[in-house]
Amino acid sequence: MTVLTPDGLQAQVVMGRSRIRPSDRVRTGLGGLASRPTRTVLTAMGIAIGIASMVTVVGISASSKADLLAELDKLGTNLLQVRPGQSLLGESSQLPIEAEPMISEVGTVTDTAGITAIDTDVSRNIYDSTPNGLDVVATDGHLDDILQLEPKYGRLIDEQTQTLPVAVLGSVAGERLIINTIDGGPTVAIGGRAFQVIGILRPHPLHPDLDRSVLIGSDFATNVMGTDPNHTAIYVRVSPDRIEDTRPVLARSANPAASSEVDVSRPSDALEAQAKVDQNLQSLLLALGGVALLVGGVGIANIMVISVIERRGEIGLRRALGATRGHIRSQFVIEASALAVLGGVIGLGIGMGATWVYATSQGWVIAVPYRALGLGVIGALAIGALAGLYPASKAARLDPAEAVRPHG
Amino acid sequence: MTVPVIELVDVVRTYPGEPPINALDGVTLSISAREMIAIIGPSGSGKSTLLNIMGTLDRSSSGSVRIDGVDIVELTERQLCGVRATRLGFVFQSFHLIETATVVENVANGLLYQGLSRRSRNLRALDALELVGLGDRASTKPPKLSGGQRQRVAIARAIVAKPSLILADEPTGNLDSRTSADILALLDDLNRVHDATIAVITHDNDVADRFQRCIRMRDGKIENQAHTGGVSS
Repeated sequence: MTVLTPDGLQAQVVMGRSRIRPSDRVRTGLGGLASRPTRTVLTAMGIAIGIASMVTVVGISASSKADLLAELDKLGTNLLQVRPGQSLLGESSQLPIEAEPMISEVGTVTDTAGITAIDTDVSRNIYDSTPNGLDVVATDGHLDDILQLEPKYGRLIDEQTQTLPVAVLGSVAGERLIINTIDGGPTVAIGGRAFQVIGILRPHPLHPDLDRSVLIGSDFATNVMGTDPNHTAIYVRVSPDRIEDTRPVLARSANPAASSEVDVSRPSDALEAQAKVDQNLQSLLLALGGVALLVGGVGIANIMVISVIERRGEIGLRRALGATRGHIRSQFVIEASALAVLGGVIGLGIGMGATWVYATSQGWVIAVPYRALGLGVIGALAIGALAGLYPASKAARLDPAEAVRPHG
Repeated sequence: MTVPVIELVDVVRTYPGEPPINALDGVTLSISAREMIAIIGPSGSGKSTLLNIMGTLDRSSSGSVRIDGVDIVELTERQLCGVRATRLGFVFQSFHLIETATVVENVANGLLYQGLSRRSRNLRALDALELVGLGDRASTKPPKLSGGQRQRVAIARAIVAKPSLILADEPTGNLDSRTSADILALLDDLNRVHDATIAVITHDNDVADRFQRCIRMRDGKIENQAHTGGVSS
């Protein structure tokens, strides 16, 4: 800048610039928080609760889903179930006796097993007539392979035992018949006959209907009890990459004369639908977490406004030392953002801890939702910056001459 | 002939109201390098307004204010901040120290808005602390200091950037008479030995009488300017 000296000469004067290093900008912003640790932590708690609830919801849901998917993976999604449907007149139809051999001829089918529901009652003994809602199902020795049934106690129906009066209880059936062990050779009464219980099944997530059933040998059922040998359901394993192609073929193979009277379903669809239902619930809970975050943001804005009033002298001093309005504004926005990020990090810790405790108590695989964690911190940062904008501009607009004046 | 450090010509500062109030009414004043002056006047005489305008914390309604020859009326808000960061040092009655920062950090804040590295700020701050006799208290925090020591820290912060002009607003207002004398002696030392140019606002005649030049204000005007012969310790 050129100036005229009193003796008429021109002189060049360099007026300095006001600038602050980025690291100092951040340090100045954080300094305000460090000077009021209790207030800082209490204010950050609002955001922490919001983030913690969001992370917990996402974490528990992700862990639940991961567990469900691991379960699905184990059970396989390539299992189809063929059942008799309804005729055009609305009557229940039947699967032909040759349905299972016909289905096993299909090229993409790798394994099959049929069951036959028997229209009879099961009870603890022949004198007990309490309704218990349990089904009796006849099966050959192949069902456990295809459905991956596992005995909790004892053994399953196999080639040898399917000709004998023995029964295997589903997990729910065991509870309802008050048989928790096979020690001592417990028996049940089916259609007025005594059957020895040789095993109790573990719960099966894909087949809750089998949990409520009592399994007996199909040879015994047909030959001794004289039940109808037609299957009421056929389980079919198909090549994993040909599931959709195979579905229509199965209906035609099971009942070539009336393929429309055959229902083909995939049991794993139910579990996947359950995962989707969880997602809806998750969205609702996330929205609630979002509301908590907003409340936390308002809390930060509130405290920052108070802080600006309290720190009038400091703001005036900084202006006197050469800070521009922008420097003051950024100091308070950084302070509010840091406050929110601190809350976010505390919230992440609480949320992950809660997820770990819950998932562990449920015996789930713990899935860490990294994306949600990242979004949580970014969200907290954004809310903090937004919450800081108003108080920061209030601080920047303070008249420096007024601000440095002694208080009171 | 050298350019005055600060030169005010017919400066008027009017605050809106019914009727408008002329806090400064045609003030003309010039301070040369290495001068040490006192601005004295009763409450409402306009001395604080004068200090704010000299310190670029406020703008005049009319008239010109030149700092190191540059008319600051022409400067933008941002450029004014640059002037404050590099050419002006402030000492306030209430010290305005950051209580949670150490003494050296408080002093180094005087260079914060010059964009210097933290290391070089701290080195220069240590030098300034030596000058005010607090070299051994660098890592202490203000709550552990006496009032006189706090004002010394504030003075170190004002001189650390080696400004053209140091403006002190009632620097002894919160101190007892003995500490006040120490602070005035320190300002005198900075002026005589280190060539600092200093303007002090005070309402205390005893304080004002110790300065080379005393500007008496009344009703927004300079009542008289007297040369008293300098500070006596």
